[in-house]
Amino acid sequence: MARPSLFGLLLIAPALAMIGALFLYPLGFSLASAFTAPGGGFSLMHFDKAYELYSTDILFTLFIVITSTILTGILSVTIAGILTLGETPWLVAALRNLYRWPLFIPFIVAAQCMRTFLAKNGLMNNTIVGMGLMEPLQATSLLDWRGIIITFVWKQVPFVTLMLAGAMASLDRATIEAGRNLGASRLRVLIELVLPQVSQTLLVGLVLSFVTMLSVLSVPMMVAGSQPTMLTVDMAFRINSYGDYATANALGVISYLISGMAAWIYLRHNVKREAAA
Amino acid sequence: MHKTLFAAGLAAALLTGTAHAQTLNVATAGDQNMVDYIKDYLGPLFEKSHPGVKVVAVGTGPGDGGSQKIFEKLDAQKKAGSATSDFDVVVVHQKAAGTLAKDGLIEKYTDKIPTGKLATRDTATNSLGTDVSGYVMPMFHSQTAIAYNPDLIKTPPSTYAELRDWVQKNPKQFGYNGIKGGMSGVAFVTGWVSAFGGDAAKLEKGPYDAATKATWDKAMADLKEFNKNVVITPGNAGTLDMLNRGEIAMGPVWVDMFYTWKTEGKLPPNMRVKLVSPGMPGQPMYYAIPEKSAQEKLAAEFIALATSPDVQADGIVKRFNWYPGIDAKNLEGKLDQAAWNQLFADITPADLSSNGKPFPIGPYFNDILETYEKKVAN
Repeated sequence: MARPSLFGLLLIAPALAMIGALFLYPLGFSLASAFTAPGGGFSLMHFDKAYELYSTDILFTLFIVITSTILTGILSVTIAGILTLGETPWLVAALRNLYRWPLFIPFIVAAQCMRTFLAKNGLMNNTIVGMGLMEPLQATSLLDWRGIIITFVWKQVPFVTLMLAGAMASLDRATIEAGRNLGASRLRVLIELVLPQVSQTLLVGLVLSFVTMLSVLSVPMMVAGSQPTMLTVDMAFRINSYGDYATANALGVISYLISGMAAWIYLRHNVKREAAA
Repeated sequence: MHKTLFAAGLAAALLTGTAHAQTLNVATAGDQNMVDYIKDYLGPLFEKSHPGVKVVAVGTGPGDGGSQKIFEKLDAQKKAGSATSDFDVVVVHQKAAGTLAKDGLIEKYTDKIPTGKLATRDTATNSLGTDVSGYVMPMFHSQTAIAYNPDLIKTPPSTYAELRDWVQKNPKQFGYNGIKGGMSGVAFVTGWVSAFGGDAAKLEKGPYDAATKATWDKAMADLKEFNKNVVITPGNAGTLDMLNRGEIAMGPVWVDMFYTWKTEGKLPPNMRVKLVSPGMPGQPMYYAIPEKSAQEKLAAEFIALATSPDVQADGIVKRFNWYPGIDAKNLEGKLDQAAWNQLFADITPADLSSNGKPFPIGPYFNDILETYEKKVAN
């Protein structure tokens, strides 16, 4: 076991300094500001205010992000499953070529598209009405929480699928073939043989998606009205309208806690696995 | 050898470039149309009369947030002890103008320019309760009003109270953008508080009394009830979009945006606006010169051009459908009758003077927003 050399430390010093100056210092600063009263001294008043004004939005944010993560998981498993176990070549080829596209579209562009696509008299409803599948009066606007979830899921499914399909492709095909030979249906092979082997990857993808969705400002701002809305919008509003960084930072801390929860689930799972191994 | 020569030539070119050209940095808060106005219209006009000067326009974002960024930048540069500021001319909202003047971040200049005397409306000297005389020139005035679709509504409500009843009878036909999606929603809410919350004059003129917000409880509770029957739209443009697609029949809008969208064909030509009583707020945008501007003289000349009757008539009124920043009587003869009529077709000058209100003074303004967040949105 080699001792860390001075040279090695020197090599990583610039990177460490960068993280320290550009990430850790601002992070500490915003944490401190969230817990400091205007005159100085420790205080939870900003959290009181955050709770008083935004308790609904905190719940709304949790609801949106958790629902989107679950839906992303289900759809990704479905698509990756079809890519790995599908026996219809043209379907697999089409899906393989199509599913990655949203990866290259920024959230803000996706939000802009959804704004006209999901509106009451928007492209989607007009198409459905045009095909004679729905009466114009039945059309409803999806530009509320549903719009946010649709946009998030549309954007994150390719990302998780990409990771998942990669993991599934590198599995030992023999286990899958064995299952098929013994008469298991493809669905059963997917759920009982494939998924347990790639659950680690799925979890990583979902945790990353969770944290990403928690931090998106453009989608809730552009797709849905502001009541209720997600914490990112509230933070921006606190700063833009009142110059009130303290409450915005308190909301930020609440966001850290929510994403910390996701990280904790991930770590706990990891530790368990390592203990088992 | 070739490379060295090339590099030397390039360096020389760059040097002469900077030596000749003067750059006037204009930072503007507000929507993209503000940046477009300076980049496509005012900048080229100024460059034509001042050869060798280049006008660079930077947008800092819509709403008070955009002005807040300008304030933060100037404030940081002052605290850091910079000799000159990065901006030579700033265009800001009322709330920021008051803070900038109070903190000494902008300078007094309106006496030095010939157009200084052309703006005499109270907004030229009073910005939400702060005395800004000498520090600012109004670039334009804009006004909020209720836009409606005459195909769906024959006689639109003419007061807030009638509007409240109308919404109750016609649920989900009225839409506005709350208070986090742009100023037209904010304007609607402050108008609501002025109409139902008691002493409206005190909100506009002060003095500030922190206890006043307790008297809004009833108005806010009513607004929460009202909100159950309205559509909350995503942003100022969101309201106009929904009007255009026929998803709502009525909603508060900025009059200038409304006319511009109509001209561009993004709204049906029969759409109309109405300024309901007891009134809805409007606001000017202000031109100001940062204290440490490196191009003070040029900046003053730029603003003098921008507030001259010709530019106000052609640029502000005709191209962008704003109400003029300088007094309207100075534009007589500069505008053809058709352009004049179009601007005042739905909202007459009389409506404007009786129902066009300023926003409440700074502290009340913040109280209204925060009470809304506490009592209505949460």
